[in-house]
Amino acid sequence: MKPKKSALNQGFIRCHDCGCLSKQTDKNSHCRLCGGRLHPRLPNSFQRTAALLLSAFCLYIPANIFPIMTVTRLGVGEPHTIVGGIIALIHSNMMPIAMLVLVASILVPLLKLLGLGLLLLNVHYRWKAHAKKWTIMYRIIAFVGRWSMLDIFMISILVSLVDMGGVAQVIAGPAATAFAAVVVLTMLAAKNFDPRLVWDNQ
Amino acid sequence: MSEDNILIHYEHYSQNMTKINFTACPECDLLLNPAEPVVGDKAHCPRCGYLLQRPRKQSIERTFALSIAGLILIFPANLMPLVGIKMLGGAKDGTLWSGVVTLFEEHLWGVAVLVFLSSILFPLLNIILSLLISGHLYFKKPNHYLAHWMRWLQHMDEWAMLEVYMLGIIVACVKLSSTSELKFGFGLYAFVALLTVAVMLASSLDKVLFWRQIGQLNK
Repeated sequence: MKPKKSALNQGFIRCHDCGCLSKQTDKNSHCRLCGGRLHPRLPNSFQRTAALLLSAFCLYIPANIFPIMTVTRLGVGEPHTIVGGIIALIHSNMMPIAMLVLVASILVPLLKLLGLGLLLLNVHYRWKAHAKKWTIMYRIIAFVGRWSMLDIFMISILVSLVDMGGVAQVIAGPAATAFAAVVVLTMLAAKNFDPRLVWDNQ
Repeated sequence: MSEDNILIHYEHYSQNMTKINFTACPECDLLLNPAEPVVGDKAHCPRCGYLLQRPRKQSIERTFALSIAGLILIFPANLMPLVGIKMLGGAKDGTLWSGVVTLFEEHLWGVAVLVFLSSILFPLLNIILSLLISGHLYFKKPNHYLAHWMRWLQHMDEWAMLEVYMLGIIVACVKLSSTSELKFGFGLYAFVALLTVAVMLASSLDKVLFWRQIGQLNK
């Protein structure tokens, strides 16, 4: 494939918000169409993504160690971690739902951490191969991120419904906060990563 | 006014005002001649495959109508019970609010705020902003804030998670179905309708066309 030039190489800056192109001069730092600030690439994209990713990685550990909810039946409390909840679902013969929760709350966050980490390595070491595949991977990461909130929403429904005092009660645990933070931080990391950095190395 | 007219106006405008007749792919920054796909076509970036534009039939009118429908549906979906359970003699109804309130009472305020934002506030703001923008474009009223609203709408887009919440309801119901009796409330039907409207709204809103129109109105 013959090399094609990027807009920035030819002196154009694309507005992040409205997509309008502006000539790269010192004077116009605001987009003429929407008035937003112009940056050739997302500002400090690499550093911000790395910082958010690192925080998400640290919080991923408490999110899996601590119980995400405690189910009390007839006075007996039983704490569940994320993995424990999935195993409980498998034991009660709910395979499809167990797979769904496994994908949404274990695989997706893990693959996101790994995928964004690889994208950062790609940008840092200027890997030249398969830029299109990397971009597709970024697109998938940005798309699936929100589905990890499934567990948080499920807990929010369970705690409000199953609230019969000592007879039956579901109480959310400390891992819920950590897991919610992981989801938000990885979503922010994906949002702050600029996929054009991958193409700038070509 | 048909969309063809709008395109002609925009070309005229872009030649007079900006003198840049190129666009760039947002994900790989390839400099492109502006594609002008017709309704039913999709414009993809030739290098990275990014979906540049997918024009919709009567995008502004449909967005306007759907956001009004969404604004009506958001009230029953938020205020009426979604699911009720009967378990060991006790009965309880759950609404979108009750989950947030219970999480807050259990001192998980971070999770409570996140659930509140992503299932109540952002979907609401999404619909209000779509209504404001498409309303102004439909009645051709210029407004200084249009570009700001459009920017907020784009940033808020991925944080409104009604469809994920729907999946959460399904998983919670399957978990509870073995131990308790479930009853689906009217709020759930309103919620499903709201979700459908929100998805249609997102697909009918043609961002490229909206930005063009905003630029033209605020000339």
